[in-house]
Amino acid sequence: MSTFETIKYEKDGGIASITLNRPGVLNAYNMQMRDEMYQVLEAVQDDPEVAGVLLSGAGERAFCAGADLTEFGTAPSQVIARQVRWERDVWGLMASIPQPMVAALHGYVLGSGVEIAALCDLRVAAEDAVFGLPEVTLGMVPAAGGSQTLPRLVGRGVALEMLLTSRRLDAREALRVCLVHRVVPRERLMEEALGLLHRVLSHPPAAVRAIKEAVRRGADMPLAEALDLEWRLAMALASGRGIVKS
Amino acid sequence: MTPLAVHGNMGPDTYQIASHRLSPMPAGKVVFRRSGGVVYLTLDRPRTGNRLSADMADALLQWCPALDQDPTVRLVVLTGRGACFSCGWEPLRPGQGPVRAAGALAAVHKPIIAAVNGDCTDQGLELALACDIRVAVPEARFGLTHTAHGLIPWDGGTQRLSRLLGPARAMEMLLLAELVDGQQAYQMGLVHRLAESGELWDVVEEVASRILGGASVALAYAKEAVHHGMDMTLEQGLRLEADLNFILHSTSDRAEGIRSFLERRSPRFTGE
Repeated sequence: MSTFETIKYEKDGGIASITLNRPGVLNAYNMQMRDEMYQVLEAVQDDPEVAGVLLSGAGERAFCAGADLTEFGTAPSQVIARQVRWERDVWGLMASIPQPMVAALHGYVLGSGVEIAALCDLRVAAEDAVFGLPEVTLGMVPAAGGSQTLPRLVGRGVALEMLLTSRRLDAREALRVCLVHRVVPRERLMEEALGLLHRVLSHPPAAVRAIKEAVRRGADMPLAEALDLEWRLAMALASGRGIVKS
Repeated sequence: MTPLAVHGNMGPDTYQIASHRLSPMPAGKVVFRRSGGVVYLTLDRPRTGNRLSADMADALLQWCPALDQDPTVRLVVLTGRGACFSCGWEPLRPGQGPVRAAGALAAVHKPIIAAVNGDCTDQGLELALACDIRVAVPEARFGLTHTAHGLIPWDGGTQRLSRLLGPARAMEMLLLAELVDGQQAYQMGLVHRLAESGELWDVVEEVASRILGGASVALAYAKEAVHHGMDMTLEQGLRLEADLNFILHSTSDRAEGIRSFLERRSPRFTGE
């Protein structure tokens, strides 16, 4: 694995740790980070040694304070921008990765920061975390899936309020609206997030992957079709464990 | 600012439509008032709990497309005159279709705040559900009681409530046909902001000023991305969001938003 500049990547005991690593600019997401994230996530999804992923931000002040606006407006045209968006679809990759992903969130979690967190399966926040979507105050809408993932997570009511008013939520409020699953003291963040991931990984990996697939793909299906999907996944696991004959 | 006190004043900047329908008190009216880029629509039929009459529905059906097309209107606030937001429904008469108006509100591309000044039940709640953000006083009660009368809601209640709260909460409200208070409504996510008594308009103005800080096209696209995207698969929704982003590349407000951020100043949006 090559070394990266904008992220840190470590693999230890089945857990891949990805750290957004531009602390000097609050881990602002830029094109290089996109390319490096894409590279690392592509490797992770095919890596049989990686059972789960932990995503966090370097430095004291932020998980990720949003996209790096100094690079905005540099695309030569809308046509090129659209082409590049789907050439390296890092968000689609995150949304479809088979391993469980846990986000450890602290400080500013704004714009793309919220969206990256929303693409993970479980979210643990430090007490100092602040969440917000400031896009409309910049004349934009979210571009990392936030307008789609957020209403699916917290309901369209809360999502609309966050999007239209760009009001910031503190960790407690984020917990209330189920944007995060746990709020923990800042100094215990990494330990708690890792602990949560370890709890998930204490179960057989095939079952964990099947759950992700059932929930993710089932959410886009009519109920009858989704129940069929669940049945097929459950029976495949059961026969794999010798509980039923295939 | 107390918009309720001046709602009766229809200034020269009001739309010249449906005005002939707005006089007879028993039929109720929807009072239209503008303040800058904000349009206040007040359900005004206090003797019957501001319940939606055919004339009021007509007014909403005509005003909503008009204010949607007016580029100077940036935000809509829906409220009720007196003690109620809006309660109950107009008695159903043989040969007459039931009155409906929530669809007209939901079709507006601009943000709509429901300023829930009091009880918000039945068709009143269906109207509030078609708004984007609900701010309420704690004494307001909420519910859809149709089932207790052998009916079901007909202005979007079964669909918008279950999409907003999830099927579990929605089923409970619809099957029990009971009312919940403002605090309960806040806890279940039916209401976004609960105002202290007497401070409804302070909270509404705060939410409104936050929304007015955003660029108009971006606000409309954010609303479109959520509402339309939720009827799609995630993958389709992500494509919709991306395409709306690329269209926004062509707006001067986006360029101004980026410039103002880099120059550490407030943006000056033009709506273009």
